[in-house]
Amino acid sequence: MRNIILFIRRFFNLILFLALEAFCMVMAMHTNTLQGNDLVSSANLISGTIYKKQSDVAYYFSLKKMNDSLLAENAFLRNSMARIRSYDTLRDTAVHRKFATGDSTKHIVKYADYVYRTARVINTTTTAQDNYLTLNRGSNDGIEKNMAVISATGIVGRVEHVSAHFSSVLSILSAKQKVSAKLKDGTTGYIVWDDKQPEYLQMVDVPQQVDVKKGDTVYTAMYSLFSPDIMIGTVQKSEPVKKNAMQLLYIRSSTNFHNLQYVYVIENKMNGERKATEDSVAVKSK
Amino acid sequence: MNVILKNLLRFCILILFQVLVLNRITLLWWTEPTGFPPFMPHIYQLAILLMPFETPVWLLLLSGFAVGISIDAFMDTAGINAFATVLLAYWRTNILTTLLPRSLNEYSGLEPTIKNMGAFPFLSYSLILIIFHHLAYYLLLAWSFSEFGRLLLQVGAATVTSMIFVVIYVLLFTKQEVARL
Repeated sequence: MRNIILFIRRFFNLILFLALEAFCMVMAMHTNTLQGNDLVSSANLISGTIYKKQSDVAYYFSLKKMNDSLLAENAFLRNSMARIRSYDTLRDTAVHRKFATGDSTKHIVKYADYVYRTARVINTTTTAQDNYLTLNRGSNDGIEKNMAVISATGIVGRVEHVSAHFSSVLSILSAKQKVSAKLKDGTTGYIVWDDKQPEYLQMVDVPQQVDVKKGDTVYTAMYSLFSPDIMIGTVQKSEPVKKNAMQLLYIRSSTNFHNLQYVYVIENKMNGERKATEDSVAVKSK
Repeated sequence: MNVILKNLLRFCILILFQVLVLNRITLLWWTEPTGFPPFMPHIYQLAILLMPFETPVWLLLLSGFAVGISIDAFMDTAGINAFATVLLAYWRTNILTTLLPRSLNEYSGLEPTIKNMGAFPFLSYSLILIIFHHLAYYLLLAWSFSEFGRLLLQVGAATVTSMIFVVIYVLLFTKQEVARL
């Protein structure tokens, strides 16, 4: 017993050092899984409040740019409204997409039901391996985990941590998440990020025979978390991958992550049910 | 001013400066699909680097952990900054003993600055520790040895920029002796 105490007293610094490092490692490992702890994230009250104060100050410097982007978005919305209004029969299907099952037209099934909420970005990073944004809305305003986040110009990310007044969003600039995407002609693939440049995303799993030109637009696919047909970016360069006869597309992201101000958080009311179904399949196949 | 109060104040100011100003500075040297890796200047290690000479190691370790974890809370990198900063705090005493001519007890009440250590020892002291910190930080972030060259490039570039900020800080916040004729 005496020896143990002597040993601890002699190597106290080393033991403390190793213990602290082990604690840090465990914490880092836990957060790298998707179910990570909410304890140390920028959604907590102290860092959230400080970021909000800063954002309140920095807000005024970009008012002009923001005005322009809001105007552009209004024009876009007016245009799409006008297009929808002209087809009277489709009036209700703009948000509530419905389809009829084959045998009976009485069964009309909604498989997607979207609610858009606005939020202000109070912090954003672009240099890390996994980049996060902090929003000034939390569970009090109806934000939940795993909701999709888009901006006026393109996709942004997915909500990962939520506190009462803040939420932190894992942006598309992260090695941790893939988004399914499609090209103009309907070819689907995945969007990934190779953590090199915040302006460029990569699209993988596109067959080589598909003809892709510089400047082609890439949209979100039907089965992603995001609602379909949201712009992701434009193709900048394509490179054949020899080992699997696919091609790698470099995509210039249409969202400017450096000066994001406002985003929309999309709630898909059907998502819970869909996720539960998909998870039950995943559990069985294990 | 009281030593503890002074260090606490420095701790808060450095963290706020790091989080509110430096984290917003994205250093992109050129933007091509396969260009130079982006990185960020760090200055918060100075809170540990500038603690008094005779601080016991356990206190250094705990304050390193506190500094790292507060940066982590802002940057959503739970544990990574804390890991690197605790590593830096652990090696600090060894590096200081190697670089200084006399034993550390003889420098009671002093802080490692250019004035107390001389320019060259201070710069090599902070350079070595910052390289340790950045290596640990970027290695943990990347969590792989593939593209090791790119990692070294990132560490090198980040070290150079961090050192520039360290030198600026030291030049700004060192009391100058009034020159007498």
